[in-house]
Amino acid sequence: MTAPDLLKPALYRAEGSDTDPDHPALLGGACECGHVFFPPQTYGCERCGRMSLATRALSGAGKLLASARVHLHGGKTRAAPFTIVSVRLDDGPIVRTLLAGDDAVHPGDRMVTMLVPVTNAEGAELLDLRFVPQR
Amino acid sequence: MSKSLKELRPVYVVGIGLHRYQFLSDTTYVDLGLTAVRAALADANIEWPTVESAYVGRALLPMACGRPILRHLGATGIPIAHIENASASGSTAFRQACIEVASGTSDVSLALGVDKPMAIARAEGLTGIGNLADDAIAPFTHFALLADQYATQYGVRHEDIALVAVKNHRNGAKNPFAQHQKERTLDEILGGKKISGTFTSLQCTPVGEGAAAVIVASEDGIKRLGIAASRAVRVAASAGRSQKVNIDATRYDAVLTKETAEIAFRESGISPRALDIVELHDAFTVEEIEYVEAMGICGEGEAISRLKDGEFDIGGRCAVSPSGGLISMGHPIGPTGLGQIAEIARQLRGEAGPRQHAGARTGLAHMVGVGAVCYVHILQK
Repeated sequence: MTAPDLLKPALYRAEGSDTDPDHPALLGGACECGHVFFPPQTYGCERCGRMSLATRALSGAGKLLASARVHLHGGKTRAAPFTIVSVRLDDGPIVRTLLAGDDAVHPGDRMVTMLVPVTNAEGAELLDLRFVPQR
Repeated sequence: MSKSLKELRPVYVVGIGLHRYQFLSDTTYVDLGLTAVRAALADANIEWPTVESAYVGRALLPMACGRPILRHLGATGIPIAHIENASASGSTAFRQACIEVASGTSDVSLALGVDKPMAIARAEGLTGIGNLADDAIAPFTHFALLADQYATQYGVRHEDIALVAVKNHRNGAKNPFAQHQKERTLDEILGGKKISGTFTSLQCTPVGEGAAAVIVASEDGIKRLGIAASRAVRVAASAGRSQKVNIDATRYDAVLTKETAEIAFRESGISPRALDIVELHDAFTVEEIEYVEAMGICGEGEAISRLKDGEFDIGGRCAVSPSGGLISMGHPIGPTGLGQIAEIARQLRGEAGPRQHAGARTGLAHMVGVGAVCYVHILQK
C-alpha cells in the first residue's frame, strides 16, 4: 500500500534534509547572498533582489518560539480549537503552522515535523505537515 | 538632496472631525464621511470651497469612494486621491496631505478616513507563493503568539499584559466617539470570550465602521482664512517605512516601529521620554507593551511595571491611548490613523474634557499595517 499524496508537495516532502534526515524536510529557498527563506519563491531575493534563487531542503527540526491555542476560527476548512506553533528551524527561517495532537508545549521546546492524514475538500485523504514535540 | 517634512514650510492641524466608531449599521459610508468632514470644517471654522485637495484613506470600501461623499459638500473640482495602506491608510492619507501643504502645492488640504466592514481579499494571499497554514493564523493569533513570546522572554504573566485593556477601556469610556464606552475590570476582561492564546475578546480591537477627518493648513492659509492660530497644532514630524528582512521575522511590527519612530524623533528633535501623549496601534494588548518599548518611551522589558505604576494613564508620565486606543475606541481601518491625529490635536489644545491629560504639549501617532508598513507622526503645540 502506497502512502497518500502530500497536500502541499511544493512546501515539504516525506524525506528529510541533509541537516536532519529523520524528519520531513521543508522546501525553502536560498540566495547567493546567503539569505535562506521559507516558503519557496522564484520572484527575487527579499534581501538583495537577485533572481538566482535555488531550492533548499530545510531541516524538519527546530525550537519552539511560541504557541497559541486558537478558540475562534472563521474558516470552514478547520474546526477550532487547534494550536498554532511558531518554530525557528535549525536552518534559520521561522515557520508557523499547526501542532499535531494536544500535548502541552512551551517556548524553548525542541520540535520536529511529521506528516499527518487530512481530508481535502474533495474528500480525498492526503498528508499535511505538522509539528510535534521531539521525543 | 531629499528633505524631511520639517525642512519644508510648516504644516498645522486646523480642523478635526469624527463620526463615532460603531458596529456595522445601516449608516451609509456617505453619511459617515460627511459627518466627519462637516465637523472638521466647523472645527476649523472654514468653508468647504477653501479646501484645495483631498486624500481619502480607506482599506475595505471599494474603488473611488471619495467623490460620492465629497460631492455633497458642493463639487468644487479639487483633486481627490485615494490611499490604501491597510491599517495605516488614514495615517498615510494624513502624511500625503501634510506633504502637499508643506510643498506649497496647497494651502489647505483634507485627509479623510472612512470604512465599513466588508469581506475583501488580501493581495498577500494572491502572490502564488504557497504557505503552510496561513488561513489558520488570523491577526489575533499572530499577536497571541507574540504575546506568548514576550511573556516568556520577560517572565511576565498574561494577566499583566491584559492590564493594557483595563486602561484603554477606562479611557474609551470617556470618549463619545469610541465604539466601546464601558469601563471593564481585569476579571471581566480575562473572563470574556476566548479568542486565541490568552486573548479574550476585550483584549482585541472590535470590528466596526466610522470616519475621521483632519484639515491641515499652511501659515499662509491660516492667515488668509482667519483660522484661529491659537488652536492650530504643528506637525513636527512625519515618517513612513516598510518591512525589511529581519532576524526575528515574526516581530516585524516592533522592529519597524523602532525604526520609524527614530526617524520621527530625529526630525522633530523631540525625545521619546518627552512625549505627553501617544496614540498607537493597540489592536491587541501585547502591541502596546511592545511598541512603547520599541519607541523608547520606556526600556525593554519595563512596560508592564510602568503600566502598573500608572505611568501610561491619563495624568501619568505619558498618556498612552487616551482615546481608548484601537482596543476601546475601535479600528474601522481607514479612519483609525486620522482618529489618532484628532485625539492628539484635541489633547494638545486642552479640549479633551474628562480625558484631558493636563499640560499636554507633544503627541505621537503610530500605526502599523499589513505589508508590513509603519507610519509615525509627531504633533506639537
